[in-house]
Amino acid sequence: MADEIKSIYLGPSSLRTALGDRKATLKAILANRTGLGYDAQLGMPLGRLADEEPTIEGESRIVSLIVRRVEEVLHEARLEGDDPSWQLILSTTKGNIEALQGVKDTISEEAFLHHTAERVQELIGAVRSPIVISNACISGLSALIVARRLMKEGVCRHAVVVGADLVGEFIATGFASFKSLSEEPCRPYDAARDGLTLGEAVAALMLTTDEALADEGMVRLDGGAVTNDANHISGPSRTGDGLYYAMTQALEEAGLEAEAVGLVNTHGTATLYNDEMESKALFLAGLDQTPMNSLKGYIGHTLGASGVVETILTADQLRAGVAFATKGFSTLGVPCEVRVSDRIQPLEKRVAVKTASGFGGCNAALVLSMERTEEQPLRPTVDVKETATYTLPQSERPFAEFIREEYRALGEEKNMKFYKMSDLSKGLYVAVANLLKGHELQPRYTSTEVAVVLANSSSSLEADREHQRLVDQHPAEGTSPAVFVYTLPNVAMGEVCIRHKIQGDNTFFIEREGAVVAECYARILLETGRARAVITGLAEKLDEKWQLELKLLEAK
Amino acid sequence: MEQLILELKEHLIEELNLEDITPEEIDAEAPLFGDGLGLDSIDALEIILILEKNYGVRLANTAEAKPVFYSVKTLAEYVMQNRK
Repeated sequence: MADEIKSIYLGPSSLRTALGDRKATLKAILANRTGLGYDAQLGMPLGRLADEEPTIEGESRIVSLIVRRVEEVLHEARLEGDDPSWQLILSTTKGNIEALQGVKDTISEEAFLHHTAERVQELIGAVRSPIVISNACISGLSALIVARRLMKEGVCRHAVVVGADLVGEFIATGFASFKSLSEEPCRPYDAARDGLTLGEAVAALMLTTDEALADEGMVRLDGGAVTNDANHISGPSRTGDGLYYAMTQALEEAGLEAEAVGLVNTHGTATLYNDEMESKALFLAGLDQTPMNSLKGYIGHTLGASGVVETILTADQLRAGVAFATKGFSTLGVPCEVRVSDRIQPLEKRVAVKTASGFGGCNAALVLSMERTEEQPLRPTVDVKETATYTLPQSERPFAEFIREEYRALGEEKNMKFYKMSDLSKGLYVAVANLLKGHELQPRYTSTEVAVVLANSSSSLEADREHQRLVDQHPAEGTSPAVFVYTLPNVAMGEVCIRHKIQGDNTFFIEREGAVVAECYARILLETGRARAVITGLAEKLDEKWQLELKLLEAK
Repeated sequence: MEQLILELKEHLIEELNLEDITPEEIDAEAPLFGDGLGLDSIDALEIILILEKNYGVRLANTAEAKPVFYSVKTLAEYVMQNRK
């Protein structure tokens, strides 16, 4: 079945940004008008959603916004909600995080990311259980890449990939604690840039194997890749190697060389180090002379939604045959001389690379194309073997005490960073070290051949609750960056990647029970030659309960 | 000054989770961000919080903080000059 599926097309889409719906957003970008403005509530420049829709009775703001987007996409595709041919894939970093406000101890069901997805499923009447991905700021691209791979394997004919994140005090104080917010609307790649501007967005994009449902221009998603820097959990790589690997792997999957690319739509957050890193990665990938742009100056950094929103808007650039301007940019201020698009200009080639990078050291790139390309030969099928398993024992002792002793029992050279980690990260760190005992990855594999694909139910809610408690106290000096950095589940994977120098795929699924989707995805990565070894399984820690049940899968 | 240096060391150990490190083991004149304590950019931001919370001393960003953050001693000197 898999070899019958040739192309994955971009189908109908629906979005809401600070500039309005898709039409309004495009119109404003073409007129070089920003949606960023001062937000009195949070006291900072922000891309607050324009023209708010009424909330569905009894539902959260984010669920309502997602339901409307999915309904619009299904309507345009003439698919019923209960048609079994489509799969909902939700990408979000914080979902309905407002449900944590004033939390004492017990976290309400509504704060769980899978709950948000399940509400959408129920309201739409979808037959298939939703898939949820929470991979920091690459979440949107991760979800599109997962969708593509599942569809290539024949799992579903259509996927509606939703990216959604709203900005409240939780997120605003966290980014403020990192001193990464600009006092003025952000200025990507500019010499005077001094930080990012947050934005809200909800977007839905259908990917389809059905040519008849392809949107105007028949834009295809021809390749994608996710990598890890294995360098630092919050600081971008100083070399750009991780993003470089992601771009070259995505192009390789699409059967293209750098010369074929007409546009790179980057993450371009306008923090000092992100933009610097991206310029280096573009240089390494041979894309430094290709026109590139960032859309953050128009709609802000829309976090888990950004990958989906900006992919839709990048496909629109291909369709129109133009590269948009980079709002806020005037004088180049990055070390490698990249070609930042400072005005609307014609595209020479209808192929675009879209990138993103995020906390946890993750990077993602995908390739959108309107050009005809050579069919990629299918890779030989490989057998997958489970070569090791490890389950972190249970204990009567408190987790903090237990995990400290388990860590010491590893007998490794003292790592000062271990003691700063969230409990989820500590548990995963120890479990992976034990899993790999006697199964050392290096030198058997190169860093990019190893992937980590995990799942849990609670995402990073334990760290989220700790950050929320600080937010609720409104400390004058601000909240703690050392707490906030762990409010993303994939950061625990980042810690493991640093420790074991793993630079392959990193995907974190949120599943109500177990790690079924994660393991299935891990096997797809191996069977299709995108990884040669994968650490997969369940990584759960909430209150005094933990489940770290890992497997090492290897291609034989 | 000696008292302030000791106090700063205690804050660092507590707030930066420096496991199994005693104040005596931190050399007040040695580089803070050398290999010894394994501090990174997140710790630098946490130190800004420590200074503001305990001494009312403000630093806008880590770039401005670089010379101040050289050692515990330079931190103490900065606090002496700027505390409220």
